[in-house]
Amino acid sequence: MQTDTPKSVRPKRTLTEISIRYGFLALMAGLLIFFSVIAEGFASPYSAVFIFQSVAITGILALGVTATLVVDGFDLSIGSTATSALMLSAYVLVVLEMNAFVAVVACLVMGAAVGFINGILIVKFRVPDLLATLGMMFLLIGLQRIPTQGRSIATGMTLPDGRVAEGTFSKAFLSLGRYRFDFFIENLIPVSVIVLLVVGFLVWVFMELTRHGRLMYAIGSNSRAASLAGTNVNRYKILAYMISGVLASVGGILLAARLGRGDIASGNNLLLDSVAAALIGFAVLGAAKPNAFGTIIGALFIGILLQGLTMMNAPYYTQDFVKGAVLVVALVFTFALSKRGGAH
Amino acid sequence: MTLSRRIFMTMAGSAMALTAGLSSAFAQTMPAPFDNPGEVKIALVRYLSTGDFFQAYLAGVESQAAAIGVDLRIFDSRQDAALQADMVDQAIALGVDGIIIQHGLTEAMQEAAQRAIDAGIKVVAFDVNVENDAIPQIEQSDYLLGKLALEQAIADNGDTWNAGYVYVAGIAPLDRRDVAWQDIKSANPGIKELAMFGTLDNPIANSVANQARSVLQANPSITVMFAPYDEFAKGVKIAVDEAGMTDQVSIYSADVSTADIAAMREPGSAWAATVATNPAVVGEVSVRTLAMLLAGEETGSNIVVPPTLITQAFLNDNDIKNMADLSANMPQFAHADVSVPAWMPLPAR
Repeated sequence: MQTDTPKSVRPKRTLTEISIRYGFLALMAGLLIFFSVIAEGFASPYSAVFIFQSVAITGILALGVTATLVVDGFDLSIGSTATSALMLSAYVLVVLEMNAFVAVVACLVMGAAVGFINGILIVKFRVPDLLATLGMMFLLIGLQRIPTQGRSIATGMTLPDGRVAEGTFSKAFLSLGRYRFDFFIENLIPVSVIVLLVVGFLVWVFMELTRHGRLMYAIGSNSRAASLAGTNVNRYKILAYMISGVLASVGGILLAARLGRGDIASGNNLLLDSVAAALIGFAVLGAAKPNAFGTIIGALFIGILLQGLTMMNAPYYTQDFVKGAVLVVALVFTFALSKRGGAH
Repeated sequence: MTLSRRIFMTMAGSAMALTAGLSSAFAQTMPAPFDNPGEVKIALVRYLSTGDFFQAYLAGVESQAAAIGVDLRIFDSRQDAALQADMVDQAIALGVDGIIIQHGLTEAMQEAAQRAIDAGIKVVAFDVNVENDAIPQIEQSDYLLGKLALEQAIADNGDTWNAGYVYVAGIAPLDRRDVAWQDIKSANPGIKELAMFGTLDNPIANSVANQARSVLQANPSITVMFAPYDEFAKGVKIAVDEAGMTDQVSIYSADVSTADIAAMREPGSAWAATVATNPAVVGEVSVRTLAMLLAGEETGSNIVVPPTLITQAFLNDNDIKNMADLSANMPQFAHADVSVPAWMPLPAR
């Protein structure tokens, strides 16, 4: 806080800055207290884990969105990349009857390839980012259905050639979605939550503490200046889309392990939720820019709201309404700050 | 030209059907216009096509059309109501003899369907009410789906329990299943609905699982979950497993797929029973009903394909692994004795 620099700062402005910097976290704390009092069973370690688990997949995707936002890009294909990974892992396990390791590697490679193609389309062929990734989104939604003629994948399904698929989701693969680590209480924390925290930490370190991360922020604020300063802008942009693609496929793998079958889905809701989390993250600590810590807080904020509202029997459309309201409030926090020419 | 020829064909068809009806010697040969089935063109105009149910429905339509030998054209509007109406006009322009309208919105399809009737084309509608007396309605009875599942829940758990209910209003089949739930609740005051939730955010199972976790945490006394759509049931099952409540909670649902069978048969699965109509059978019935109309026979205005109760115990006892096994072990699931005149060839099994 800036109270110890009395020369330039008037008290009123300090108050505004404090509220912009900590307002969102205070709002979240208020919500936690509110739900703990109102909704029976909300205040418990299990409940806390549910919240983390319910946002783990969108949180991981949102970190990918954050990586592309940092270089002033946007990845609309992230949801369909996740559901493609869901279908691919099911296809590898059930139809090709290979093991969990192959399935995971195949998905990660696919995610990286999708990100690479997005990046090439954007930097080499100069297709605007929204359009390139929109095209990729449709392409993937269609592609993931071609091998099974639009049907979900499950053990025992009849394949197009009349054969019955004998492969199963192996124990090792399912444990990615179902195994729980002990943490004070036995079997408490699911793998997906650990993955979210680890990925969040890695993205945070990469973006905030390494030279590469800072160059990516530089590209995002002025790519021409960054280029004149000797940064290989194209390479970093492609890297950002590859991070996004790989994280999306990680989300897809966790989704497949939780569902235990290959469900066809467009992934549009995953896309929208993760974009919302990343944008809410702008407001956290008054960052006014995409950042990994804010993204995770943004995802948690939505998770807390949905969990609390569901416990209070609120129907689904009120939940969408509340999600929208939170996003609007967060954007007001962000842009109110940038208009005042505040920190960062 | 085409129009007058079609009218002539239809008239000739009716005449032939009449004569065929008079003489039992003709019972096994197909009546006109199916004496030359390759010349008969029918169109399937779809509103919904994505997902296992609609894929299976299409497979049923295709196999019955192939069994009769007619020329089937498929128009897929992919949830675009205006496009679906345009596609009916395209089918009219193509000179088809019959049209199956599969799902859609009443307001959008009403006039298009009437234009087809005016052009002398026979029309049947599946799961969409086009408010036209000349068009028979084919439906799977969603009310019965819900009712049979709930009756099984009462048979298993008695008539006093706390329930969680998964429902999204405004989806026609879910609304019809909801009527069954309301009826059962008012007939059994011991059944208490502690929580109602639901969402169609996809992947649906994952979103419903997140909600169901919260609901179970807030209402630990729930013993029965009524989830009258298999994606809902799958999500609830994930939540029940994760909450470690498989011994306490039983899930009753509607619809079935190979993946659902696997989930119901997991050791200790909370998914007790589901009620389903085989979508492939509904597809076959749609084509047969249209064929009867083309042959000038009486079909009735409402054709209901009856649903079947499928319990976890039945699946385990008969070691059923997929839909093909289910059809083999449950004749009433594999074939519905609906719209089957004596001359009708059935798909090979």
